[in-house]
Amino acid sequence: MYHKKKECVAMLLAGGQGSRLMVLTEDTAKPAVPFGGKYRIIDFPLSNCVNSGIDTVGILTQYQPLELNDYIGNGGPWGLTSNFGGAHILPPYSKSKNSEWYKGTANAIYQNMSFIERYDPEYILILSGDHVYKMDYSKMLEYHKAKKAECTIAVLDVPIEEASRFGIMNLNKDGSIYEFEEKPKVPKSTKASMGIYIFNWKILKKYLIEDEEDKKSSKDFGKNVIPHLLGDGRKMFAYLFEGYWKDVGTIDSLWQSNMDLLNPDSGLNLEDPTFKIYARNYANPSSFVCKGSLIENSFVAEGCTVNGNIINSIISTGCYIEKGTQIENSVIMPNTRIEEGSLIKYAIVGEEATISNNSKVGDDPEGYSNSDWGIAVVGKGKTVDPDTVVKVKEVI
Amino acid sequence: MNMAGVIFSNLFDEYFGVLTKNRTVASLPFGGRYRFIDFILSNMSNSNVTNVGIITKYNYNSLMDHLESTSEWDFNRKNGGVFILPPFSTGITTLYHGKLEALFSAIEFLEKLTQEYVVLSDSTVLCNIDYEDALDTHLKSGKDLTVITHRVPSNCSKKYALLIKADDNKNVTDLIVDYPAMEDGELAGMGMYIMERVQLITAIKDAIAKGRHHLEKDFFQKEFNEGKIGVNYYEFRGSVLCNTNISSYYDNNLRLITDEKLKRDLFDARRPIFTKIRDEVPTYYGKGAQPDNCLIADGCRIFGSLYNSVLFREVKIGSGAIVKNSIIMQGSEIGEGCVIENAILDKNVTITPGVKLTGARNAPIIIEKGEIV
Repeated sequence: MYHKKKECVAMLLAGGQGSRLMVLTEDTAKPAVPFGGKYRIIDFPLSNCVNSGIDTVGILTQYQPLELNDYIGNGGPWGLTSNFGGAHILPPYSKSKNSEWYKGTANAIYQNMSFIERYDPEYILILSGDHVYKMDYSKMLEYHKAKKAECTIAVLDVPIEEASRFGIMNLNKDGSIYEFEEKPKVPKSTKASMGIYIFNWKILKKYLIEDEEDKKSSKDFGKNVIPHLLGDGRKMFAYLFEGYWKDVGTIDSLWQSNMDLLNPDSGLNLEDPTFKIYARNYANPSSFVCKGSLIENSFVAEGCTVNGNIINSIISTGCYIEKGTQIENSVIMPNTRIEEGSLIKYAIVGEEATISNNSKVGDDPEGYSNSDWGIAVVGKGKTVDPDTVVKVKEVI
Repeated sequence: MNMAGVIFSNLFDEYFGVLTKNRTVASLPFGGRYRFIDFILSNMSNSNVTNVGIITKYNYNSLMDHLESTSEWDFNRKNGGVFILPPFSTGITTLYHGKLEALFSAIEFLEKLTQEYVVLSDSTVLCNIDYEDALDTHLKSGKDLTVITHRVPSNCSKKYALLIKADDNKNVTDLIVDYPAMEDGELAGMGMYIMERVQLITAIKDAIAKGRHHLEKDFFQKEFNEGKIGVNYYEFRGSVLCNTNISSYYDNNLRLITDEKLKRDLFDARRPIFTKIRDEVPTYYGKGAQPDNCLIADGCRIFGSLYNSVLFREVKIGSGAIVKNSIIMQGSEIGEGCVIENAILDKNVTITPGVKLTGARNAPIIIEKGEIV
């Protein structure tokens, strides 16, 4: 069979469990977690690919893939349905001699080398499915080519006091990388890896095969493959990304990133018509806002009925909000029901959850010590009984 | 299903004035994010009517743009799909004058179908109907024609395109065309008919040969009166919105805000109404936003006060603006401090800051597509 040659193929690592998101990812993979009213996290890398002119995306799934597979479908909502290429879901599969799960990020790509080879690409773009950001990968690829690099890693300038939470790239003056340190105690640089890599495919292939043969390797890009390339003195460059980027792997960061949508100074703006974020749509009617409701500095998606007061919050598609409710600084995920008299502050309410009459979820940070306060979380599909209090930091 | 669909997209264009100046009646925006055709096509899609022809006459650019690949309605199929049927000159008929003539331009489509039955539908009557159930009734009746009807509400004097009179055993006793209903609860046609396909083709050819063009009068009524065809009726019991002119169009939009039963019926989650996806962000409500009994689509930015109004996608309302009893279509922008009352703003209208526009409740002021006020 003929396969059209592709200059660049993207491989999206979407198998992560996202265990730090707890009840929100009990039965769903992290990339399928709802975001910003009508999106899911995976919409960001997928839309970035489309907006960067990349039309071939392999999506590597492993943990609880049902919802994610269903969501991606044939790739239609993102326009990833071309005759040659498009979106392909790549789960681990059994082979004639052995069968195995994806043992690490590098092993996941290794197991799908035959998928990549079909397109005979010059370059391979490695992405992860748990970051919120808008990025034109074609600019990074141009940089990679201009530098005649063998590997380019996208980096973000982070405040020095936060640098020890990231994988830090130590750079020469020309932007080339001489050292990589994972979560250094004393960081030498503020250039944090965003987990976005471009490799020359021939080089990556060689290293993946070698890494696979190395019995001691944990088959991970950050831990094994990148240090190995560096050790061999390969031409590796850092590409500085300037813009909004957030790892939404924790409850706090997921909440914060949603709140950033409401802050015009955050740098996260989804309204640019030339760089849209696409999502699967579910034929919801327009939202109905009833008499006497107050909505301030908030996003309300389609298919909602709003009857309460909403301040600084994200209300996702298909929510039903009864009268006498007060929602502040919270993220309400799709198809939830908030019943009469409920009070929700600084909380994330998962998909299809129900908050029954006169319940209270979360609270303002005032009056709590820093260590006692946190975002309250109601899990996907959970019901909070009437007159119940879900305390700050509580996760149910 | 053993039934195909035919939709008339241009009929009644003339009753909607400037709103249909550059579009077919089928592509009239409705209810915040829809167009008339969405309801008709979604009903067919949800009823497994997978082969649909849309008869067009002129101005069908907006319609084709809206439908694109028809995948949103699940019509992107190998066997079947949506076929746009523009008029073609055959020497007998050029631009048609009535439904029979219009159907003549669809004859090739009809002849190629494999389904035995056809449902014909106008595009001005909006409801959420199951055509499978209607076909069932048609088959059980053994009659040639089934007229889909609803009981008319309590405004008798209104003229209906077709009224059915039936006896207690549900046998049709009379079929009346273009006549006002004389009492509440009479059976009015919804512009939807089910017939056997081959019989329909024969009737169209016969009518064209004899120079007849009015489907209801020249075919249904005439042949029923002459005893040539048997007529059955199907009583649809859900909510029905008849759009006959600008005034009813305006009222029907606003009814979506107040009529709970209508909303439940029309937007039944088991039978969703599909529409074109535009990938907008959710609607943003800023400081000073006061939405009060409104239907609001995605992608709007609201900083003003809204009462009893329908906002389509990507509408911007400036701070201090007041919008009352109005329909604001896609992409329109209302500047700071404007007062808009009883108005229909077509797509991409710009109202510059401070402008006051007031129409009457029974005669809303209309601003044409793309105008700047």
